[in-house]
Amino acid sequence: MTSMQQDYNPVTQQIADELKGIVGDRYVVYGDAEKLEPYSHDEIVERQYAHPAEVMIRPRTADEIAAIMKLANRENIPVTPRGAGSGLSGGAVPICGGIVLLCDRMNEILEIDTENLMIVVEPGVVTADINEKLSGTGLFYAGYPMSLETCYVGGNVAENAGGGKAIKYGVTNRYVLGIEMVTPTGEIVQYGGKLVKDVTGYSMAQLMVGSEGTLGIFTKIILKLLPAPKASVDLLCLFLTADEAIAAVPKIMTEAGLTPTAIEFMDRAAVKAACEYLNETIPYENAGAMLLITVDGSDAQQVTREYETIGELCLANGAFEVYVADNHTTSERIWSVRRNIAEAFAIISPIQSNEDLVVPPSKITELQAELERLAEKYNILTPCYGHAGDGNLHTRISPSPDMTRQQWDELKPGMLQELYETTNRLGGHVSGEHGIGHKRKEALKIFVDEPTLETMRAIKRAFDPNNILNPGKIFDV
Amino acid sequence: MRIIVPIKQVPETSAVRMDEKTGTMIRDGVEAIVNPLDLYAIEAALLLKASQPEGQCEVIAVSMGPPKAQSAIREAMSMGFDSGVLLSDKKFAGADTWATSYVLAAAIKKLGDVDLIICGERATDGDTGQVGPGIAAWLDLPVGSYVGKIDGLTDGRINVQRLLEDGHEGLEVQLPAVLTVVKEVADPRLPTLRGKQRARKAELTTWNADDLNLPDENLGLNGSPTRVVKIFRPSVTRECEKLIATDDQSINTAADRVLEFLQERELV
Repeated sequence: MTSMQQDYNPVTQQIADELKGIVGDRYVVYGDAEKLEPYSHDEIVERQYAHPAEVMIRPRTADEIAAIMKLANRENIPVTPRGAGSGLSGGAVPICGGIVLLCDRMNEILEIDTENLMIVVEPGVVTADINEKLSGTGLFYAGYPMSLETCYVGGNVAENAGGGKAIKYGVTNRYVLGIEMVTPTGEIVQYGGKLVKDVTGYSMAQLMVGSEGTLGIFTKIILKLLPAPKASVDLLCLFLTADEAIAAVPKIMTEAGLTPTAIEFMDRAAVKAACEYLNETIPYENAGAMLLITVDGSDAQQVTREYETIGELCLANGAFEVYVADNHTTSERIWSVRRNIAEAFAIISPIQSNEDLVVPPSKITELQAELERLAEKYNILTPCYGHAGDGNLHTRISPSPDMTRQQWDELKPGMLQELYETTNRLGGHVSGEHGIGHKRKEALKIFVDEPTLETMRAIKRAFDPNNILNPGKIFDV
Repeated sequence: MRIIVPIKQVPETSAVRMDEKTGTMIRDGVEAIVNPLDLYAIEAALLLKASQPEGQCEVIAVSMGPPKAQSAIREAMSMGFDSGVLLSDKKFAGADTWATSYVLAAAIKKLGDVDLIICGERATDGDTGQVGPGIAAWLDLPVGSYVGKIDGLTDGRINVQRLLEDGHEGLEVQLPAVLTVVKEVADPRLPTLRGKQRARKAELTTWNADDLNLPDENLGLNGSPTRVVKIFRPSVTRECEKLIATDDQSINTAADRVLEFLQERELV
């Protein structure tokens, strides 16, 4: 790591033994490269972003984590907190070695508070389990990251996960009311609480949302719940071209005057990859792009009216078929196509640049046009998918099949520079929901000015004077 | 040509919770869907319809159930079915596979001129797989069960392949006939917006016991020879034998024990 200014101490056998003393022998892995390998990377496909940990530890309590952090500060050893490892920016990768602190044992749903419409969870709870647990209560948690069957809610909070339902329900930060965490120096603190309103000092809980594991290790999270919608319908709209599909998106909100729960865009390459991966037989051959649109509400008739309006609008704007999924089985069938695109691409092309650009929703056509321009100019593939309704477009830029690795490596920096500059000009940012991690550290500088970066560094130094917790992420201190 | 597909509305099984005391399913608040295995029968019928000249094949869904089961029929219509008949009467309640297939057979007879009846393999709630062959018995028709592939229609016969445990069995069946189909037969299509709109506006036919002219003693619980005496969870007992091998000697001992274990059961 060339940008690291800091030398850390290695994890010795003696330190490993001390860690075992804190959590118990069976919850520490040390000196076994094979067993440590899974904790050296997240879901980023390129191996250049991986780095091995020296020791992996699985604490169960806040007190144990506090003891680990105190030891780490005393011994000058970096600590990288880790959830399910489903991140896409390297946030959970121990790039300076040291300790990986896994949250998987802290996986209890502690309280469902139906009087306050809140839930208290530990960070290692799998996101999808929250709504499973809530079924029958009439309540639901609105977070819907695409990896919800595997990711942990602690990671969702650390990355301020967005996902598929952001146009209507917003992203994770809207639901985080309180956090108990261990600070980088090993103090256990409580921020926020079961309070819908709270201006008692800085909003520390919100500062933690999206802090990418650099400011604290969460041990309890209080989330706001909503009354569960009673009806939900998904439309899968097939368009001949990506341009027509993208152009229909703003019309749904401006012309129809409706706010769907989700508007997901998938271009031909994305749909084909996912359908082949899933053995799905939705007739995608003629579709240049698809929109997956979800409408939900408290009244089935209203939902029917809304989906008919949106479906008709899509048909009038170039869609040649609109499929309707109004029950769990068909809905899951459609959504699993969308959710499996990333995994499908990871298998197709091991060389790719996975971008998470976000622009004002009205600029998404211009961003799409820029990607097409770059595809032609550099002879590359720019398969596109994402949350078109909220301006967050994912693309897995990859070399064309006839390109050598060297050619790709040579063109990539210049191509990305052009893409980022256009995004910036459109008023956009480099990451909508995946985060900066160490992967987008350089790109961050295009989008965030130096005084702001210096403020961020000052916040980091205030929490973590020894730069022990997840060093080298977002920016260099 | 007329194809009839009997379908059943079942609870969405991914969300099912069980009542620990009674051992029965809690149906409150559980979404009702078309039996997922019936979707393959629906698709198989639609593919056969598409293989016939335009206007030459009619596909009809028939379902026995409470009034809300009409949404299952409308789902079939939104996928492309021409019409549907709901068989609904309080007297039908509590029917087992005998009484269910009796009512369905009577409705199919009343519809008349039927060439082919295609059923799903079984329903995901009752899990018996008896209604399809039951209909065939009541109507005295040939039955091809576990059909994984429909090869084609020729001269009043249908060629199908049955999926068996050790391979496929080709059958040529004289029409009219009953088929029960398995997942391999076709991939169900999704309902379309236009289909949904058409299905919502469609007038459905509803028949009760009087319409079918059926005697009360053959219906519902009265007509069902099956009695559910008790519902319980089977207890699963596994006798596990654990071998821990750490060095050459213990690996050898463990390997010997594994071999002995398999020999005792005549597996090697």
